[in-house]
Amino acid sequence: MAHSVDRILTTHVGSLVRPPELAEFYRRMQDGETYDESAYAECLRASVAQVVRKQAQTGIDIVSDGEYGKTQTWSRYVMDRLNGFEFRLLRPGEKPSAGAASLTGRDRETFPEFYAEWDKTQQGVSLRAPGRWVCTAPISYKGQALVGRDIDNLKQGLRKANIDSGFLPVVAPGSVVPERKEEHYADDEAYTFAVAEALRSEYRAIVDAGLTLQVDDAHLPFAFERMVPPGTLADYRKWAEMRLTALNHALEGIPEERTRYHICWGSWSGPHSADVPLRNIVDLVMQVRVGGYLIEGANARHEHEWRVWEKVKLPEGSVLIPGVVSHHTNVVEHPELVAERLVRLARLVGRENVIGGTDCGFAQGPLVRRVHPTVMWAKLDALVEGARIATQELWGRKST
Amino acid sequence: MGQKVNLTMKRSTARILTTHAGVLAGPPEFADIDLQVRTGKPYDMQTYEALRRSSIVKTVRRQAEVGIDIVSDGELGKSRGYPYYSQRITGIEQRALKPGEVPVTVRRSREREAFGEFYEYLQKIDTRLAVPPGTRLICNGPLVHKGLGKLQDELDTFRAALAGVKAEEAFFPVIAPGWLDHFMFNEHYPSDEAFIFAIAEILRPEYKGVVDAGFLLQVDDPGLPDAWPTFIPAPSIEEYRRYAAIRIEALNYALEGIPEAKVRYHVCWGSHHGPHTEDIPLKHIVDLMLKVRAQAYSLEAANARHEHEWKLWREVKLPEGKILIPGVVSHATNVIEHPEVVADRIVRYAGVVGRENVIAGSDCGMGGRVHPQIGWAKLRALSEGAAIASRELWPS
Repeated sequence: MAHSVDRILTTHVGSLVRPPELAEFYRRMQDGETYDESAYAECLRASVAQVVRKQAQTGIDIVSDGEYGKTQTWSRYVMDRLNGFEFRLLRPGEKPSAGAASLTGRDRETFPEFYAEWDKTQQGVSLRAPGRWVCTAPISYKGQALVGRDIDNLKQGLRKANIDSGFLPVVAPGSVVPERKEEHYADDEAYTFAVAEALRSEYRAIVDAGLTLQVDDAHLPFAFERMVPPGTLADYRKWAEMRLTALNHALEGIPEERTRYHICWGSWSGPHSADVPLRNIVDLVMQVRVGGYLIEGANARHEHEWRVWEKVKLPEGSVLIPGVVSHHTNVVEHPELVAERLVRLARLVGRENVIGGTDCGFAQGPLVRRVHPTVMWAKLDALVEGARIATQELWGRKST
Repeated sequence: MGQKVNLTMKRSTARILTTHAGVLAGPPEFADIDLQVRTGKPYDMQTYEALRRSSIVKTVRRQAEVGIDIVSDGELGKSRGYPYYSQRITGIEQRALKPGEVPVTVRRSREREAFGEFYEYLQKIDTRLAVPPGTRLICNGPLVHKGLGKLQDELDTFRAALAGVKAEEAFFPVIAPGWLDHFMFNEHYPSDEAFIFAIAEILRPEYKGVVDAGFLLQVDDPGLPDAWPTFIPAPSIEEYRRYAAIRIEALNYALEGIPEAKVRYHVCWGSHHGPHTEDIPLKHIVDLMLKVRAQAYSLEAANARHEHEWKLWREVKLPEGKILIPGVVSHATNVIEHPEVVADRIVRYAGVVGRENVIAGSDCGMGGRVHPQIGWAKLRALSEGAAIASRELWPS
């Protein structure tokens, strides 16, 4: 894992707003319209090259493909790559499950009027096919060609932009259809480990190609507000622990320094009043055997949690990648605020162990925009500038 | 009133007091008719008046319920358009926009130029945003106040609503001269200065009226910072400070004779949900702000563009006896501030200016900028956070 050896490095969580010409292909796919497959492939390749170049120009050190190759959300894209699942429409009166369609949770129950209004303003979050994925057969991996394409596109983009650090975000086992019903597998554990086993092929392909693997697990923190109450924190932790054991199983044999793990509390810009505190889960998160941890830290619900690191020790050799800019507000972070957020963490965990990041991605599905792309790029500019100021403060000199 | 009473407004002597910037969401039943009135559409006066009064009663009570110490009337029924001002002053008119004109100054800015696509998109997706009118409010004759009848009624309504409500103090916001000219364009006075002082002259009786009625006066002045990006191309800081200094002088003129202990001054960089990349840094205007004859200064500090500015108070000394009201919750995000985030922010300010010189506030008004459910939840987070900060700052 790259460390901030002589300056604060920068990265982000992965997804970036798709350009309109690429988004149009995804809209057609979503609406079941026909499209030209080779034109799509070409558009995807060119768009990835372009977004890699733009990240490099912005000054982001460790760049992604913007998750441009994903046909569905950050977690559901994997349905194109796994055998064993089928999609079923909801029966009347049936509630959608997490990861399937529109979400429910304690925050939504507390703020129903807000959500009723806000949902209508959200573009690209499709509620068109309210349904859920059901596992009906043994799970296995079939995504070799798709992940291969994503790897090639990103590597090509890196070469063209003349940079060498790229990461590809993929889903964690615990975030793949986290709430099962009518399953092929006997229990949650058998199911989750089967998913983990299958996902290992995807994880390995990325690392074998020389890229950094990022495992995304937003459902891990989010599950709390769906379980508690009536469940307890202990129930939830037990639930989470099994998922993380499965993740570690999937990561077996993969060098830690080539991997990083992202958690967030869900990227929708709601109140987030029921988010589980980081201090209640940080020990579990640190059990994941990776070289870097990407955790929200730039929004009003989690900004104070940098203090968690006053007591918790970061595993030896790993880096912390806090969110220092957020998709939760249109206001572009002042670079001095970004610097302040980085410096206070650097003082706790060591400057070489901090990389500047974002709270979450900016587009969790092919048509989603959490902020307008012009605001997104301004935020990435602020991130880079803030890291420069922090470097100056932490190393007592200007970075090059 | 005796001369020696109230040498200070209530301050955080034993715990951190809480307040906010003024505008709040009224109850749902008020929203529709309020919109009719604001936009100059026909409405039933009696129904409106009854609803306004009952809504203010509810809004005042709700502030007390969520733990706000220094409360407002929510500014229900106030607006900044012709329908509102034409009842108070003469010398104004509403006229159709000429080609190239904007209805209010902030509709054209360097930020809007830099983020044109974003603003188009925002207008499309944000259902709360009003469609910009095809008219502007102009001053085309001498400005004369029509009398304080309307104001008295607002103050009486507020006083009645406060009956039986547990609040430390009550404040009433009135616009600053240097903000009204963002909505009212001069077509009569020979110079900018003459126009601003004419506005000051008509606001003076309003300011006095509020204080005479026993309320704290809050002078709202987003204009001090938020005119900065509206000059194209960007002026020098010095040029801008000259522009702003006239407005501060005019405001102080309007405040003459009013004890500082009765006045708080609110500045913000405009409450719009934009990137705010062109906001003028506080350091360039803080001395002008502190010139205003007020005891307390309320300013944005909870959003990503201004949160770092607490550090400025290491260098700038808050004058003896003055109070800062930093925003510790913000309308710029739907995410509800964690009470510990609120407490951190309060404690940081207390650390640089002294705990007794801090009152916890909001960046700007909550009404209209976030969903009412969110706005109220943020005020509750504010008071919960202030309680945490109080325990930290006054350890027993």
